[in-house]
Amino acid sequence: MGNELNRRSFLNAAVSAAGLVAMGPLLSACGSGPAQRAGVGSEAALKAVLPAYVPNTSIKPDIPSVAGGPDVMTSPGFLSYPANRVATVSGVPGKGGKYSAVTPLWGTIPPADNAFYAAMNKALGVQLEMKPADGNNYNTIIPTMTASKRLPDWIQLPTWWNSQMNVGGLVGNQLADLTPHLSGDNIKKYPNLAAIPTAAWRTGAWGEKLYGIPSHATGFQIAGTLYYRRDIFDAKGITADQVKSADDLMRLGKELTDAKSGVWAFDDVYRYLYTSFGAPLKWRVDNGKLVHLYETEEFYAALDWNNRLATSGYVHPDALAGDNANGNTRFYGGKTLISSSGTGTWNLADLQSGRAADPNYRRGAFNIIAADGKSTPRVDMGAGASIMSYLNINLKPEQIEECLAVANYLAAPYGSAEFTMVNFGVEGTHFTMVDGVPTATEAGKKEVQAQTYPFLAAPAAVVNSPGVDFVTQDYCAWQAANVKALAKPVFWNMNISMPQAQATADAAQQVEDAMRDCIHGKKSVAEVKDAVASWKSSGGGDKLIQWTDENVLQKHGTGQ
Amino acid sequence: MTTATPTRPDRGTRPARPHWRVRLRRDRSLILMTLPAVVLLLVFNYVPLFGLVTAFQEYDPLAGIWYSTWAGLDQFQRLFGDANFWNAVQNTLYLSFVQLVLFFPVPIALALLLNSVLSQRVRNFIQSVVYLPHFFSWVLAITIFQQMLGGAGALNHFLRNNDIGTWDVMTNPDTFALLVSAQVVWKEAGWGIIVFLAALAAVNTDLYEAAAADGAGRWRRLWHITLPGLRGVIVLMLVLRLGNALTVGFEQFLIQRNAVGYDTADVLDTFSFYYGIATGDYSYGAAAGLFKSVISLLLIWGANKLAHAFGEDGLYRR
Repeated sequence: MGNELNRRSFLNAAVSAAGLVAMGPLLSACGSGPAQRAGVGSEAALKAVLPAYVPNTSIKPDIPSVAGGPDVMTSPGFLSYPANRVATVSGVPGKGGKYSAVTPLWGTIPPADNAFYAAMNKALGVQLEMKPADGNNYNTIIPTMTASKRLPDWIQLPTWWNSQMNVGGLVGNQLADLTPHLSGDNIKKYPNLAAIPTAAWRTGAWGEKLYGIPSHATGFQIAGTLYYRRDIFDAKGITADQVKSADDLMRLGKELTDAKSGVWAFDDVYRYLYTSFGAPLKWRVDNGKLVHLYETEEFYAALDWNNRLATSGYVHPDALAGDNANGNTRFYGGKTLISSSGTGTWNLADLQSGRAADPNYRRGAFNIIAADGKSTPRVDMGAGASIMSYLNINLKPEQIEECLAVANYLAAPYGSAEFTMVNFGVEGTHFTMVDGVPTATEAGKKEVQAQTYPFLAAPAAVVNSPGVDFVTQDYCAWQAANVKALAKPVFWNMNISMPQAQATADAAQQVEDAMRDCIHGKKSVAEVKDAVASWKSSGGGDKLIQWTDENVLQKHGTGQ
Repeated sequence: MTTATPTRPDRGTRPARPHWRVRLRRDRSLILMTLPAVVLLLVFNYVPLFGLVTAFQEYDPLAGIWYSTWAGLDQFQRLFGDANFWNAVQNTLYLSFVQLVLFFPVPIALALLLNSVLSQRVRNFIQSVVYLPHFFSWVLAITIFQQMLGGAGALNHFLRNNDIGTWDVMTNPDTFALLVSAQVVWKEAGWGIIVFLAALAAVNTDLYEAAAADGAGRWRRLWHITLPGLRGVIVLMLVLRLGNALTVGFEQFLIQRNAVGYDTADVLDTFSFYYGIATGDYSYGAAAGLFKSVISLLLIWGANKLAHAFGEDGLYRR
C-alpha cells in the first residue's frame, strides 16, 4: 500500500462523513427504508462502554515502546523474531461454526480451499470461508453487497472508505453491535483483544456503541512525514537533523537540485508539511469559534511556500505533472532526494525495492519541524486504527461470541505461537526458520497472505524488519525522537455522519483542484482564495462550517 | 446457407411485405445469430438507463434507487449554476472541435497514402506499425509522451544539457488541445484507417484504368474517383463524430488533469467523475451525464438529418 492509501486513511479517519437521508413521508409507506444513521455519541456515554485496556507482557520487544501524551506511544521494535513462541490461547477457540469473511487484498488472491486455510480452520475450530477480494476495486464491490443487504458474516471495511461505504449507516442496520460483548471488563474474556489500545476501539465506535474490531492499532498514527535519501545526504555531508524550518528546506532545494543530471531535490511534499505552518488538519477552535482550514492564514502560507518551491524548479517535473504513482521509483532511483509518504513505507520491503535501484539505499526521515523554526514542532495524530472489521447483524449472540473468540486468536501478540500460525502458516509446509527469521516456502508465498486473516483482527502494530536491524532501529529512533510532537487535532477519533450536502462540501473538490494547481506552480495563492470564496458561498462551505459547529462542536466538544 | 435470396423488387414499385410469420421463418437463423448481441445490448445499455432516475433524486447508495428521496430538478438547477460545469462544457466543445479539424482528416489521408503503396509487404509493415499504438492503454501512451516530452523527459534533458531553454509541453495549459490531439493521432489514427481502407477496396479498379486511359493524372483520379467513392463513409464517420462531440475521451483527461489543471482539462466525463462519483454526490454526476446524453442525442439526430439533406445515407438509409 502506498502513499495515497495512507494519506486517505488518515484524513478520513479523523473526520469521516456518511450520507444521511431524511425520509420523506411518501416513502415511509414503502416499508423497510433505511433507519437513522449512527453518528457521534456523547463523550461520557462512550467512555463508559469503551473496553478495558490490559497490555500483554508475555513477549518482550527489543526496543520498548516510549509513551508520549495521552493515547500516544511509539510502536515497540523487534530486531529478531521471538525464538520462544509463547502460546496465548489454550485449546481451540471455535465450536465448529461456519462463517464467511470478505477482506480486501492488494496482491495475488490465494487459491480457494488451500492447505493454509484448512490448517487455520483446524486451529480456529471453525469453518471460516475466506473470500479475499481485489483491494483496488473493493470500494465498488462493497456498496453492491450493502445495497442488496447481503454482507458476509465478517467483513473488513477500512476506515478511509467510511464515507464511501456509508459505515455510519450500516452500523446497527447491517453490522452487529458488539458493545454487550466487549464493553468495560467484558473484553477480559478475550485477553488478546483487551491488549489492543483503547483509541483503536474508539475508532470503531459509532454513536455510543462498539462495532469495529481494529487491526494493526498504533499509538503513533500520523498521516505521514518527509523522508530523505540518508545514504546520499551522508555522502554529501548533510545532517538532516539540522533542518529546523521551512527556509532550511528551501535552501536544501537549491543545494540538491541538479536538473542537468536529472536530479531534483523534492517530490510532492505539501500533504505532510502544511500543518508545520501552523495550519490545522481540517478544523481549529479559536476562542470558541470553529474555524475551517481554508479560513486560516497558515493554510495560505503553506500554499505559498509550496508554490515557491515548485516555481523555483526544486520539484521533479513528473511530480508537477501529477504523476504520483511513480514517486517511489523516483526516490529509489535518486531522481528525487526528499519525498513524503505514510509511515507504513519504512520497512524491509522498502529497503529491498530501494536496494534494487541503488545498493547503498537507506531511508531517513526529517524530524517534525515548525515552519518558522521557532514554534514548538507539532504533528496531528490520526485515529487509533484504520483497518476495521465488522460482524453481520444477523449473527446470533453465541455466534458473535464464537467469532470474537476467533478474533482473540487472530489478535495474539507478535511472535506468539498463534501469530506465527496466522502470519506464516505451518512450519515446514509454509515457512522454515532461516537464521532465526520465518521465511516463506513456495507454498507459503502462494497461500499465506498478510492481508487475509490479519484483516479480521490483528494485534497492535510493532516495528520489525527481520534480518536488517538498522531499518527497525532507524524507525524506532525516529518515532522516539518525535513522539512528543504528536497532538490530537480537533474532533480526533470521532466518527461523524454528515448529510450528503455537507459531505460534498467537505470533499471540496473545487478547492482541492485549485490547491493542487497552486502547489504545482500553475495557479497563484490568490486564485485559491477565489476558489475558497466560491466554495464558501455556493459550494456549501459556510453551511458545512455551521453544520459542524452546531451538530458536532456544540454537542460533543472537540474530542481532544 | 439454404435461405433463398429474395428477388430484387422492381424500382418504383414497393414490394408487398410478406406476413411476419413468413419473415420470421425466413430470417430465423439470422435472428438467432443477433440474439446474443441484442441481449447484451439490453442488459448493459438499456437496463442501466433506469439508473438515470437518480438524477432526479438525492441518491443514497445505501437506500438504493427505490428508497432515495426525490429532488425534482434540484440537481439540474445546481448544475446550471455551477461555473465548473460550464467550464467543462466549454472545454469539451473546444477539444472536440480541435480534434475534428486536426484528427479527423488524418486517417483518411493515411488510408489514401497506404492505398497508393504498391508493395504489399511495405503496406502490411506500415499498417502494423500504425495500428500498434491503438492497443496501448492511455496510461502507457501518456507515460511514453511524458518520457519523451515531459520536464524530465528525453527532449528536455537534451535541451537542458545543451543550455537551450526547456520546453515542457506536458504541463502547459495553453497548448493542451494540440497535445491531446497529437496523442490521439499517434494512438488512434492507424486504427481509424481500417474503415477507409475497406471503402477504398470497394472502389471499382476499372474506373481507374478507364480514367488513366483517358489521360487523367494522379490528382484527377483522386478527386474524381477515389474521393467520391469514399464520400459515403466519410459522411457516416462525420455524423458519428458529431454525435459524439461531447465525448472526447475520459482516461486521457483523467490522467493529465493534474498536469495542466482542471480548468483546462476537465471535460464533461471527468466532471461527472470528480464532482459526482469521487465526492459521493452521485445524483449530481448523473445529472451532468444525463445532460450530456440529451445534447448528444440532439446532435446525432441533427447530423443525420444533415447527411440525408446532402443525399447521403447517414446512419441509416431513408
